[in-house]
Amino acid sequence: MTRILVADDASFMRQMIREIVEDEGYEVCGEASDGIEAVELFKELQPDICTMDIVMPRRSGIDAVRAVVELDPSARIVMCSALGQETLVAEAMQAGAKDFIVKPFKPDSVLATLQRVLDKED
Amino acid sequence: MDLDKYRILFVEEATEHLSEMSSALLDLEKDSSNSEAIDRIFRMAHGIKGMAASLEYGSISEVSHHLEDRMSLIRDGGKLGSGEEVALLFRGLEALEAMVAIVRESGGPPPPDFPAAIAFVAASQALPSSASSQAPKKKVLIR
Repeated sequence: MTRILVADDASFMRQMIREIVEDEGYEVCGEASDGIEAVELFKELQPDICTMDIVMPRRSGIDAVRAVVELDPSARIVMCSALGQETLVAEAMQAGAKDFIVKPFKPDSVLATLQRVLDKED
Repeated sequence: MDLDKYRILFVEEATEHLSEMSSALLDLEKDSSNSEAIDRIFRMAHGIKGMAASLEYGSISEVSHHLEDRMSLIRDGGKLGSGEEVALLFRGLEALEAMVAIVRESGGPPPPDFPAAIAFVAASQALPSSASSQAPKKKVLIR
């Protein structure tokens, strides 16, 4: 079973991703509500894949990507962005994120992106 | 998607976000270059926008989008431009509070032509940010 870590400061968004991926048989192994927690949980849980919101308190999603990739260069991280954040998405990809999904989330597109990233690394 | 569940989550989180936005706005009113307050208002507007867009609450996502864009310009400029600008931000906050109250009380979306939202967007477009005269104006997406 694919284990996924979901990082977003809004529990609304975490819940939405949880519902999309659990319906597809993924296991949500952890939820982080800021960038610091995301890095700590990634270290502790070693998930197969992680969704990371860009805008989070304490430590931004982009900084968290840098920290996670330093720990594990093969980490599979998918950024969660909104329309208009293209520059930040590019920065996150530069930092080592593998792909991105755009809010509002469309279940088919979220699942296709996650699967693409999982397949690429296998 | 269980809309009722997400609507309840939205009302809870948006209410918390608006209360934090309000306290950050008061901080920013006292110190117009308080970068922590600027960042907090930006994040709260961004968070509300994402949730509202997911529920297709167009007028809420539009107001929060305008607020977010303006906070981004203010952040680039390092400080608030004028007293008028802080008044505008409070206006945006009040429009959001009123619309979230409609969702809470009616269980449905706020009307697309909610007067306070239209008035805020018009006022925001009429008041250039101090930073926008230096930075290229970002295209604002109206949803």
